[in-house]
Amino acid sequence: MKPTHSSFPWFSRLALILLGVLFLLPFFWMVSTSLKPLNETMKLPPEWLPTSPQWHNYPDAMKAMGPFWLYARNSLFLAFLNVVGTVFSSALVAYGFSRLDWRGRDTCFFVLLATMMIPFPVVMVPIYGLFRALGWIGTFQPLWVPAFLAGAFNVFLLRQFFLSIPKDLSEAARIDGCSEFRIFWQIILPLAKPALLTVALFQFMATWNDFLGPLIFLAREEQYTLALGLQALQGTISGTPWHHLMAASTLVLLPVLVLFFLTQRTFIRGIATTGLK
Amino acid sequence: MTLGERRNILKGLLFISPWILGFLAFNLYPLAASIWFSLCDYSVLSQPVFLGAQNYVDLWHDPVFWKALRNTVLFAVVAIPLSTLLSIGLAILLNQPIAGQGIYRTIFFLPSLVPAISLAILWQWMLNGPMGLVNSLLRPPLQAINALFGSHLQAPDWLNDPNFALWGLILTGLWGTGQAVVIYLAGLQEVPIELYEAAELDGTNSWQRFLHITLPMLSPVIFFNVLMSIIGALQTFAVPYILTGGGDGPGRSLLFLATYIYQNAFDYWNMGYASALALCLFVLIIGLSLITVHYGEKKVHYSGR
Amino acid sequence: MAKVLIENLYKIYPAEKGRPEKIAVDNANFEIQDREFMVLVGPSGCGKTTTLRMVAGLEEITRGSIYLDGKKINEVAPKDRDIAMVFQNYALYPHMSVYRNMAFGLELRGVPKDEIRRRVDSTAKILGLLEPDNLLERKPKALSGGQRQRVALGRAIVRKPKAFLFDEPLSNLDAKMRVETRTEISKLHRQLDSTMIYVTHDQTEAMTMADRIVVMRYGKIQQIAPPLELYHRPANLFVAGFIGSPPMNLLQGTLQASPKGALEFVENVTPPHFPFRGVLSTDTSRRLSSRQGKEVILGFRPEQLHPNSTASKHTLQGILEVVEPMGAETYLYLKTGAHSCICRTTETDLGLKEGSKINLGVDLSRAVFFDPKTEETIPT
Repeated sequence: MKPTHSSFPWFSRLALILLGVLFLLPFFWMVSTSLKPLNETMKLPPEWLPTSPQWHNYPDAMKAMGPFWLYARNSLFLAFLNVVGTVFSSALVAYGFSRLDWRGRDTCFFVLLATMMIPFPVVMVPIYGLFRALGWIGTFQPLWVPAFLAGAFNVFLLRQFFLSIPKDLSEAARIDGCSEFRIFWQIILPLAKPALLTVALFQFMATWNDFLGPLIFLAREEQYTLALGLQALQGTISGTPWHHLMAASTLVLLPVLVLFFLTQRTFIRGIATTGLK
Repeated sequence: MTLGERRNILKGLLFISPWILGFLAFNLYPLAASIWFSLCDYSVLSQPVFLGAQNYVDLWHDPVFWKALRNTVLFAVVAIPLSTLLSIGLAILLNQPIAGQGIYRTIFFLPSLVPAISLAILWQWMLNGPMGLVNSLLRPPLQAINALFGSHLQAPDWLNDPNFALWGLILTGLWGTGQAVVIYLAGLQEVPIELYEAAELDGTNSWQRFLHITLPMLSPVIFFNVLMSIIGALQTFAVPYILTGGGDGPGRSLLFLATYIYQNAFDYWNMGYASALALCLFVLIIGLSLITVHYGEKKVHYSGR
Repeated sequence: MAKVLIENLYKIYPAEKGRPEKIAVDNANFEIQDREFMVLVGPSGCGKTTTLRMVAGLEEITRGSIYLDGKKINEVAPKDRDIAMVFQNYALYPHMSVYRNMAFGLELRGVPKDEIRRRVDSTAKILGLLEPDNLLERKPKALSGGQRQRVALGRAIVRKPKAFLFDEPLSNLDAKMRVETRTEISKLHRQLDSTMIYVTHDQTEAMTMADRIVVMRYGKIQQIAPPLELYHRPANLFVAGFIGSPPMNLLQGTLQASPKGALEFVENVTPPHFPFRGVLSTDTSRRLSSRQGKEVILGFRPEQLHPNSTASKHTLQGILEVVEPMGAETYLYLKTGAHSCICRTTETDLGLKEGSKINLGVDLSRAVFFDPKTEETIPT
């Protein structure tokens, strides 16, 4: 519940405005730089606004990055596969942990929780070796197949939600004659749409944002995701072209922003529930 | 066991079979393999050669390891309290009945969505010594202080100065604290308003209400967030890696444990050593988590449990 | 034929950390005849719901057997048992229309579409789901509690099961809806002519709806009998106190020899109060002769007390504490020397003042006697 009156209304308002501006500044700076010609970016002291916006910086940056649209397609392809894989497999596993009573269930779930503590660097090398043995290094497989094997975090999230659906719905369905999978598919999943959407969103963001994964498992340039492609731009060109870098960074950021604004409420609610357990 | 119980176990295992497969392939096997590799000289291209505890001995004598460890822990120890304070503070400000709460919340949340690559490149630019925004904002107040006190303070060249690079990174982290803000805000809104009203009638002031109502009611959320932050902060990799172009930063001040592990594994192909380092990281994380949990169990107040 | 036989049924939850073993159902034995309306009643935790759920197949049976229509169904999955269940919280599928909710079970069994249409429509008609508003296309959240319960009923009815199971279906309804739905279910029973097993904690529901009642407490069956037999000849103190509202009056006392040769009940009181004395009939005295001199508990229903004491053989004296005019009848709360009693009379306008000393007539012809130690009824 929000308090009905504020303790320090003027102070709060001032602080919020100040902090809000501070938090927005980097975005502003990023876009502003992206629209300056190169010489203006290096002016001392720096100027806030470009004298005239150089919109062509954007297509220039995309060209400088190389096969920009190819990278974008790769990122999208991986994001899509990960979302599909995660949503479906996490839902299945979460169902098993929440809508069924079976001996050993809680022990297994405890193990699942414990695995959330294993840092990626610890398993990184053996997993690399595993994929290498499978001949998957330099392909996309390591970056989407694991999504179909249900990540612990998403299972945890969905399990919480599934637990909130009344038990007697499943019981009524069992008496009606549903097989367990049918109950999963026709009763629970339709009721879980908001939670599934949240998982899909989080997974999209995570995959779009993923840097270490593509860094380790991808080899050829044609496979690069946008993240990797952008890093290549940063590394290769000398005399850092900040205007291009900022433009490219903005481009990579844009889909995330758009997605957020389209799904704000689901997003915020999802984050809040993860924190409140 | 009855037939029904047996049926249920089968059904249960069937439903969680994707996870079981994933657990075996990506948790159990790698954990065991990591321990084995850490005791070997291993470079993927050839078979592992058993070395006993040699990697760990080398690790102990490796100054780079200690530097990386120091950086990682220092980062965690500074960044986590700072960001917790900031996010709780922001959440409290947002919880006031002020117009535009949604807009402010979006403003604070958005930076946490920025992909690591964009974030790193942006802040590389922001922290640029001569041309970056951070220093442009710092210079006027510094000049004023210099004029007043006759000092010679200078805006640091963040990413090139070994004394300031880590602080630059911490600043980057603070910008991304938005997720926690949303969580704390939700937690604040769960506090029954009657508690505050009763306290007001009792004659308390805002600070007392914060100390005795807000903090205790928020403590489970704080606990969970701090625990997650610790586990996350100790694994920091992407942003410093990109900022330094895959390297260590000035005077190795931006070398994190995760970065060092990556370097050993995929730059030097010294995977045995990398595994030993990784297990040290693992032990570090578990150790700090246990300490937090132990401390937290005592201090955290669970209402309606 | 849909008889249900419960044989030596146990439900035991094994001991685990922080909790000893719990016996939820303790050696239940009874048979429900075909087309009988059997009610399981008792306070919460008595095992009635657990028993029902074992019949449904929603709980594992620890020991014992359940037979439906002569076949043992211990290991049969719920969907193959040919039973239907009405849940306390209705358990309607929120994302399906009323029609689909009712049709779902039939769909799963491969019943042809037009047959489904027929059954759902005729059931909806019986249950008033078509008039005054056609509710078939609505979703559950657009219905009132009473309507939802009727849909839940409908879902069970269209299945034409061998037996209907009800798990406290009226608990979530308001008082008025409860009475309405209660009579509807009774009417349905006559219409459908099916075996019905009904669980409730409300003894009024049990009394009004049942052909026979199973009273349970702490997992054990206390008595199985038709309602009136439970009312007039309860098997023990618990049943006597549980069935009937207001509850049975209970007086502690001893059976002593009276000058006329018959036995006399003497209330246990401490001075300076005077005990209630009631001479028993020769028949009763003969049957209780072995109890002479022993402690006993006398029980009689509130309607066995009358404000007009002159017409009765026995008189109960006491202070009138509270008068409750109920409209058609009046409750009088009396405090005797050692006990509190309730009188229920159809006389209104008695003009009695609270706090005054009054005499009530006692009719002991239907009185029941209990052994204070075993709490069982002494057969008379």
